[in-house]
Amino acid sequence: MLLPILALAVFIIYRIFCTLPSRKRAVKATKIKSLAVFLGSGGHTSEALTLISALDFNRYTPRTYIVSEGDSFSAKKARELELSKGTSTGPAQYTILTIPRARNVHQPLVTTPPTALYSLLACIYYITFSSFHTRSSFADVLILNGPGTCFVLCIAVYLNRFLGLSAPRVMYIESFARVKSLSLSGKLLYPFVDRFIVQWPQLKEKAKGAEFLGLLV
Amino acid sequence: MRAFVTVGTFQFDALVAAVLDERVLVALRDRGYTELVVQCGKSAFEHAAAVAGGETVYIERDGMRVELWQSRPSLDAEFRRADLVIGHAGAGTILEVLRLGKPLIVVPNPTLLHNHQTELAAALGPYLKTAAIHDLADTIASFDPASLQKFPPFDGSRFRALVDAEMGFV
Repeated sequence: MLLPILALAVFIIYRIFCTLPSRKRAVKATKIKSLAVFLGSGGHTSEALTLISALDFNRYTPRTYIVSEGDSFSAKKARELELSKGTSTGPAQYTILTIPRARNVHQPLVTTPPTALYSLLACIYYITFSSFHTRSSFADVLILNGPGTCFVLCIAVYLNRFLGLSAPRVMYIESFARVKSLSLSGKLLYPFVDRFIVQWPQLKEKAKGAEFLGLLV
Repeated sequence: MRAFVTVGTFQFDALVAAVLDERVLVALRDRGYTELVVQCGKSAFEHAAAVAGGETVYIERDGMRVELWQSRPSLDAEFRRADLVIGHAGAGTILEVLRLGKPLIVVPNPTLLHNHQTELAAALGPYLKTAAIHDLADTIASFDPASLQKFPPFDGSRFRALVDAEMGFV
């Protein structure tokens, strides 16, 4: 009786250990990588797309743009970026995924848990179920820039890691707007992401392991 | 010459009131400006109802031709046509205007909660001018765009190198 429980406990601890964020680099790339980015609306979307525009799209294909329900601005901006890039690899290889918002603007705090849970289930559907189904990762790298909704994406990635499914490396880039203090999404995500990048040197002291490489947007 | 004022998506009553005030209009006129375009957002002021209905309101005041409207999907064309931009200290507006190389005066909105706009404006000190509502007219009067440093252009190489290294391409 005790042995199976012990074995299960050891297994769970081992799986949790496997989910810890790691600063180690990926092995040398031998093929193209898939990329996903969350477009958090307004300024977050502009920043995230500016970052993505810097990448060589021939290396990062296909691309998945994750937008919140009802955010037509972000979807439009993502299409514009793809058009402007006019990738040489033939037809544009990207998808726009819509997920429910974890919390709406001005939504009372008490009603947040069910909304957030619904949002999380959608993320699990896209990230965990699809990985299970296709035996390949939802993306090789996931780029996050805020706001808070992107936390549910991070939880789904962790579920993949716990289950031993392939999972993207998660990179969080704090907004250029944050000079002296981390944003709420930065504070929430900092312990969980593989890379945590800030755009002002003053923020390096706010989070252990935060990296500063200069202005990125 | 044309000055453009933007308050962002929401409202900034004090900024709209300030730029329609005689002191600011006269300061602009004395610096050679003849036109003032104001993107008012949802700010409360005398013509709020008209601009909320999608109208563009034109008024003549203190020798300035003033154009007022609520918002547009992109302000890029307005920034390009302007000789001076006066704006709320939103990060997006700041980046866009500085990258266009336009002289910028920002007025952080003191009514915003957890105001980190002031910190951003202060950190960008060499590239733009910061003013408060009460000293906006004086700031315009003494503002010398040539005293500002040129903001560095967008450089995607750092982020590209970062992701490429993370993904094992280099």
